[in-house]
Amino acid sequence: MTGPTDLPKDAGHRLEELQHGFFTSDLSVNEFLLVKECGFHPLGFVMGSSIYHTGIQGRRWSKSQELDKLTEAMYNARELAMTRMEEEAEALGADGVVGVRLDVNYYEWGSDAAEFIALGTAVKAEDGKSYRNKLGKPFTSDLSGQDFWTIMQTGYVPQGLVMGTCVYHIAHRGLGQTLGSVGQNVELPNFTQALYEARELAMTRMQDEGNRLEATGIVGVRLEEKTHQWGSHTIEFLSLGTAVTKTADEVTLPRPTVIISLDN
Amino acid sequence: MTGPPDVPEAAPRRLESGSFSSGLTVPDFAACLQMGLRPVGLVQGFCAMQWGWYGAGSPYMRGMSPYTPQGSGGAYAQTWYCPHGFVSGEHRMWGQNYEQVWVEQAWLQGFNTAFGRLIEEAKEVGAHGVIGVTDTAHSLLESNVAEFHVLGTAVVVEGAPPPPKGEPWSTYLAGQRLAKLVEAGFMPISVVASIASVRVWAYCVTEYLMEGGATLWQTQGTAPVQDVEQVSEGLLAARAIARDHVRRQLGTDTLHGVTVATSEREIGGGDQVFECTLRGTRVRRFKDFDPIGAPRPTVRLS
Amino acid sequence: MTTTPEADPRAEMAAAAAWLAHGGASSEKRGVTSDLSIDEALLLHSIGWEPIELVFGVSITSVPVGVWTWGRGQIGAASDAHNLAVHTATERLTKECSTVGGHGVVGVRASVEVHPHHVEVELTGTAIRPAGAKPHVGRPFVSDLSARDFVLLSNAGWMPLGLAFGASFIYAPRRDAATALRQSTQNVELTNLTEALYAARESAMDRMQTWGLQMSADGVVGVHVTEGPMYFARHVMAFSAWGTAVHLAGDRHRYVQPDVVLPLDDVVVQFAARSLRGD
Repeated sequence: MTGPTDLPKDAGHRLEELQHGFFTSDLSVNEFLLVKECGFHPLGFVMGSSIYHTGIQGRRWSKSQELDKLTEAMYNARELAMTRMEEEAEALGADGVVGVRLDVNYYEWGSDAAEFIALGTAVKAEDGKSYRNKLGKPFTSDLSGQDFWTIMQTGYVPQGLVMGTCVYHIAHRGLGQTLGSVGQNVELPNFTQALYEARELAMTRMQDEGNRLEATGIVGVRLEEKTHQWGSHTIEFLSLGTAVTKTADEVTLPRPTVIISLDN
Repeated sequence: MTGPPDVPEAAPRRLESGSFSSGLTVPDFAACLQMGLRPVGLVQGFCAMQWGWYGAGSPYMRGMSPYTPQGSGGAYAQTWYCPHGFVSGEHRMWGQNYEQVWVEQAWLQGFNTAFGRLIEEAKEVGAHGVIGVTDTAHSLLESNVAEFHVLGTAVVVEGAPPPPKGEPWSTYLAGQRLAKLVEAGFMPISVVASIASVRVWAYCVTEYLMEGGATLWQTQGTAPVQDVEQVSEGLLAARAIARDHVRRQLGTDTLHGVTVATSEREIGGGDQVFECTLRGTRVRRFKDFDPIGAPRPTVRLS
Repeated sequence: MTTTPEADPRAEMAAAAAWLAHGGASSEKRGVTSDLSIDEALLLHSIGWEPIELVFGVSITSVPVGVWTWGRGQIGAASDAHNLAVHTATERLTKECSTVGGHGVVGVRASVEVHPHHVEVELTGTAIRPAGAKPHVGRPFVSDLSARDFVLLSNAGWMPLGLAFGASFIYAPRRDAATALRQSTQNVELTNLTEALYAARESAMDRMQTWGLQMSADGVVGVHVTEGPMYFARHVMAFSAWGTAVHLAGDRHRYVQPDVVLPLDDVVVQFAARSLRGD
């Protein structure tokens, strides 16, 4: 196996050790047992990070608009972190990464720079079959061990963590103008449209990523809103979910026992 | 209603693509598949409303009058008059509790518009129902603007005909809870929300009691420790009105899993607003309750 | 243990949707509003009870000026106001319950706030009755236990009677100047505060017990307590306690004999998915 191209040397050493059967994982014991139950073995704790200067983009006080440069920056930074994590997983010969977390950290060295981190546990199927996605890469997913077990029972297989983002600036002045009709309750059409559109764009971009993976669908979609450090009128809409593909008929779960827990 | 095109441009592209997206968690998703519900897309509705409440030119003291002890148009109003019989600028000779119908209407318009757009998106993907609905209503930025955002997962019931008039049903529930609801003999009809807003403009006795000055008026039949009738009535009215609003839509259906949220805000001295919102899923019984087996009591070992 | 009849969730859902598509009408006679979860509704049904209506009880009671700032020992006006507010709110809640024909109220959420000039008590719960039963003669019970707890208690032969409350507010005498000066450099117990808190606790618990005994209860379960100085008067120590008074309705206690389980969930989801006739 050739080493990863984009990774620091230290990572190479850590990964070499992991290739000999020793594993590290941030899965809990419960999750570890359930991942094993689905026929997967953890290979190692993998991560990728990227410190990104997000730059600035001129915003017009009175105009609601997408800030495409910021959108692109936010997207690329996360994509880089994810790709590096995938490379680590690939170096381990993994089929996928479970329990992926995506975080943004701001440090003191500059208000415009942020660290984007992706963390997760690389896993490999024990039956020797490949569970890599349509692009030949290990699948990624933000599913917990429990969720991973459950989704495998339904006959769906995760393909990748997909996301879409849209940074939107909301006009200041346009708002004041509509407030002319005091004392009445009216809808603010421009405002509605701007925010509605911004959310739709984030969700559409996520869906496009899912389609690239030829996924049947996306589960566990979350829609997050962050203002980062841009002030309250500039908002990032981030849409995240796990793309899944139907591969088999669902396994019928045994009928659960009816219980009433006496635990607090 | 005039206004923006009801669904933004990006939506059709997302909704028409071959794959689905769903806001359901994995356990909810698994339960949904087991019930034969096929997710067809994440649908949403959004509406920003100007909240013409207490900003400049707001309808301050609107609807209040000592001469209409019963509110107009069936709205709640209750009036109290001073028992002391003297006149002074600082002495509130009368007070009133009254329902702020216009506030309730604004909230409902915002909620219903956002919800209507969600249903419209759901129809576009040919959904039979929308499950796992979540809604948020909060004020945005620093102005008198409130936004309503409703989100849910549109589903098709495999092997079932579309709902009457193609209007998808909707529910706050998803996953096992929905499965159990159906198994218990209830079919979800729609998410329902209602709000009541009651303004309390205190009269002298209420003011004195709330400011701890009751002892001064003991001679006029005011005990130092006593129920402050006007405020208690106002708080109770807000809750009862929200419940009545829901009841009126309900018919013989059940409102399941209600969440009650209340708020109290002071606008000025002796001037308060009490609000109560109720949210729940309207469900209709289609078969009798199945008796359930006695559950096994368990204790967790861990 | 009875066996759970096999049900096919897919068939159930399709049947329900088809029924709706053909303009299905409700078979119920009247609407119900309830804040119970489906698990709770099913559990209630398993012992033959049903929810009827969401009910409320509220009271604001005045506290005269000056009671917090001078005096010594028990602040009678404050505990009187607390007592009256809880009683009035409970009265209103039970009145709403009786109006809709309820036999009792379960899952009561109690919010009790003590402010300088008023005490505010807000109670919210769901009125229930044995399915189809006639309106209850006598006083409905009130309980802050969940519907699930009500079912468990009832299966064990117990019934709730009502909420038992007790509160006490004690003015802790300030230390005299000489004592305060001497103690400023020492590690010592502030006996004035300790004593005040003890006195407050004793009388509050005593009041709650008296309240319970007046209802002919055998005991009070799920007692919550709050304690500490009042936010607006640091020298007043407050203690309040409340819980559901219960009595043994059957001839003897019935034991539950639980099974033990070893769950593989990390998050403790109490009584949710897969817990009750789930699929």
